[in-house]
Amino acid sequence: MTAIGAELLLQTEIGAGLLPQTAIGAELLLQTEIGAGLLPQTAIGAGLLLQLGLGALAVVSGLMAAPSLRSRAGGILCTLLAVTGLATGLGALLGATGGLLIPIALPMDPLVLAPDRLGGLFMLVVSGVGILVSLYSMSSTRGADASRTAWVAMPVFLVGMQLVPAATDSVSFLLAWEIMTLGSTVLLLADHASRATVASASIWYSAMSQLSFFFILAGFAVLAAASGGTSFTSLQAVEPGSWPANLAFVLLLLGFGGKAELVPLHVWVPRVLPEAPSHVSAAMSGAMVKIGVYGGLLVCVRLLPDGPPWWGIAIMLVGGVSALYGILQASVSSDLKVLLAYSTTENMGLVFLGLGASMLLRGFDATAAADAALVAALLLTISHAAFKSTLFLGAGAIIHATGERNLDRLGGLGARMPVTAAAFGIASLGAAAIPITSGFVAEWMLLQSLIHGGRLDGAVVSVAASVAMPLAVAVIALTAGLALLTFVKAYGIAFLARPRSAAAADAREVPRLMQLALALGALFVLALGLLPGPIAALVAHTVSSNPTTAVQSVGLGGVSLPGIGAVLDPIMLVVLSALVAIPVIVSIIVSARRHPHRTVDLPWGGGGSRARPRMQYTATSYAEPLVRVFDDVLKPSRDVQVTHVAESRYLVERVRVEQRVSDIFETRLYRPVLNLLQRYGIVVRHLANGSIHRYLSYSFVALLIVLIVVSL
Amino acid sequence: MFEAFYPQLIGLCTGSLLLTSALMVWRHSLLASIRLLALQGMALAALVAVIGIAEGEPELVLVSLLIFSVKGVGLPWVLAHQSKAAVKQIQESPRLNPTAALLAVTLLTILSYVVVSRVFGLGDSVTGHAAPIGLAMVLIGFLLLISRRRARSQLIGFLMLDNGIATLAFLTSGGVPILLEFAVSLDVLLVVLILHVFAGRMRTKFGGTAVDQLRELHD
Repeated sequence: MTAIGAELLLQTEIGAGLLPQTAIGAELLLQTEIGAGLLPQTAIGAGLLLQLGLGALAVVSGLMAAPSLRSRAGGILCTLLAVTGLATGLGALLGATGGLLIPIALPMDPLVLAPDRLGGLFMLVVSGVGILVSLYSMSSTRGADASRTAWVAMPVFLVGMQLVPAATDSVSFLLAWEIMTLGSTVLLLADHASRATVASASIWYSAMSQLSFFFILAGFAVLAAASGGTSFTSLQAVEPGSWPANLAFVLLLLGFGGKAELVPLHVWVPRVLPEAPSHVSAAMSGAMVKIGVYGGLLVCVRLLPDGPPWWGIAIMLVGGVSALYGILQASVSSDLKVLLAYSTTENMGLVFLGLGASMLLRGFDATAAADAALVAALLLTISHAAFKSTLFLGAGAIIHATGERNLDRLGGLGARMPVTAAAFGIASLGAAAIPITSGFVAEWMLLQSLIHGGRLDGAVVSVAASVAMPLAVAVIALTAGLALLTFVKAYGIAFLARPRSAAAADAREVPRLMQLALALGALFVLALGLLPGPIAALVAHTVSSNPTTAVQSVGLGGVSLPGIGAVLDPIMLVVLSALVAIPVIVSIIVSARRHPHRTVDLPWGGGGSRARPRMQYTATSYAEPLVRVFDDVLKPSRDVQVTHVAESRYLVERVRVEQRVSDIFETRLYRPVLNLLQRYGIVVRHLANGSIHRYLSYSFVALLIVLIVVSL
Repeated sequence: MFEAFYPQLIGLCTGSLLLTSALMVWRHSLLASIRLLALQGMALAALVAVIGIAEGEPELVLVSLLIFSVKGVGLPWVLAHQSKAAVKQIQESPRLNPTAALLAVTLLTILSYVVVSRVFGLGDSVTGHAAPIGLAMVLIGFLLLISRRRARSQLIGFLMLDNGIATLAFLTSGGVPILLEFAVSLDVLLVVLILHVFAGRMRTKFGGTAVDQLRELHD
């Protein structure tokens, strides 16, 4: 079915790309339903068509362009593709309707691509990340990143991601989903020749994405069987409390949770995101993971709203565990990209925590708090897209400049790569949820809704909520603290102090276009943090039935939650703190001027004159206390090797310490299952031993059995 | 005149089809099998011709000529296309001894009668009564396929299976359109040619075409 669909879509692409004004192109335009809405309807449809056309053009240019031009051409076309997606998404977010109708011969509901407001929001997020990634990857001119395969897969990946939120029926949803997975897998594989770990990562990624796909397919199938149609409107007809709805909910949660990197389906994350080229990691973590979130919202907000309370509690549980586990692993990791990958799990865990809380609260009629929690989850999604793609691109810049991603061998990059350092720093602030960045606004709003959510007009809404909410607050508090430590480590060890290796000492600033992408990303992080009001109000329109009572914009871009009675105005905060800080700074400078600068050589340098880079804190030593505190959860394995000088027992030549923190879900959950499968495979090998006679006998016996059974 | 002979002619043709099938299972010599296959092809062509004349369709007579040239002459010639002496020497050592194989043929024939009469009904027509022969040929061909070790003997089993399908088609529905029949015949010829070349390559490479020794090639 997928193959047929892909072919159809390919036809659409060709139709869109080469002959937009012919019958094929015209046929695809959705017929307008209301005369008044003619212009916006065709605008969205034209936007989608343009995306498909640009995608096809980018694929062709990736195939045809000369190696010297390939990156430029592909990058420009991908940027244009993402900009088109951004415009289309913005249009849909602002309320424009319309789309594309893909006619099919199969007996099911037609394939319609028509993003609603929520879909528009996610299209906006995904294509925003797409712009950063395309700009960034344009400057790579050799190696696997600039290969033909990579530049063919890139537009496929982007188009797939931008079409998933536009789908309004399960078939086109799954189709776009598979296009997205296909593109990302190929992009991941692009570098397989130079590193063996990439192959292993690809196998994990393919297996886990197919598992996700299977769950989603099964979930949609259950809903479709219960409702008798494949379009989302007919799937909505399923009663949320019925058993098909419960089954579908669990299946879909597993499927989308796998894509959104939730525990325990996150095992691909620490393998794939570090091994993929950095701009691909940025696209995966910044954009593709958001599609998983979109799937979760699709199920919980659009398809099966008003589910039983245990749905909300299940989502909160999964989200909470993911958040804690992700940030714990991130905080002890000394590999920069593994750290960022696990931090993605943490952030997605928080998003799902917010989503679950909103479902739980909505079930108890605490609408204001529920809306606030949902808006907070969406804001966290948007801000995560901004800061995590910037962070991954920053990590890519570090790898570009030094070839290292092990924090223990970095250091001192701040002076050598100022633009990267600034962008990475701002994005780190966002990831650590420090005020005036985007992460802070989202976590603040989530906390507000959780704190105020347990009570409605002073009365406790339910026992479940009054137990769950304080626990959720505790989880967020712990993750926020650990996130702060994690990103202090990431930024401090990489960019401050002295270089810990020759590669770090020789680092140079990356090319202009990479700097541009990084700066844009950092700008997004700041803008989302400084102007949360208008953005939150816009976001509230996508999910709330009554957006103005849920979230309002106040003051200079501040945000207010009227239902809860909480107000946040970051710009006022900045102005106020500036009013306090400026006199203090001025007085310090003035008093410093009054006393001339003195240089005193200490007689023995206080030990400082002989300090070597190796004496500095490293990422591992910085995280050591954490490893000790969370020893029971993380189960690290330590290996100390002492080499003695010749025969002496007391003189040590060198000490080698190795500490490994493995993923307990992988060792305790996946390994046993995989071993079991392997044993099954060995047993089954006797049944399928390669003898053609045996296989023919199987089919003969099967045929005879069928004949005997039908004639009975 | 013809009407009186018609049931006998049909019975003769289908009977010879079944007989050649059973003999193919019994005989171990490759040359004998190929000759029996040629006989079977001719019997099939005769069957088609009889049906065509009885139903007054000249097209079927054309088909019967096609079948005669492909299945009665062409395919056996391709299979025996080697020095007669070499083919004569090839003796199959099947995985099933002749007695057991003939017993299996009997059981399969009974089974196909039971299946056809229970599932489809034998009907009133002469051809309907003969239809189980086609299914029996399919099953016997399959039996040959799994009990023979050499690639070329297996090929003969495969061809008998194809003959069985064709017989069933002609007996139950008066055959398939000529274009389809033509295409299928060409297809089978092509398959046989490819497999023949393949078997030749196998012989030069491994010194034999015993298929059950090929299992080490997997993985």
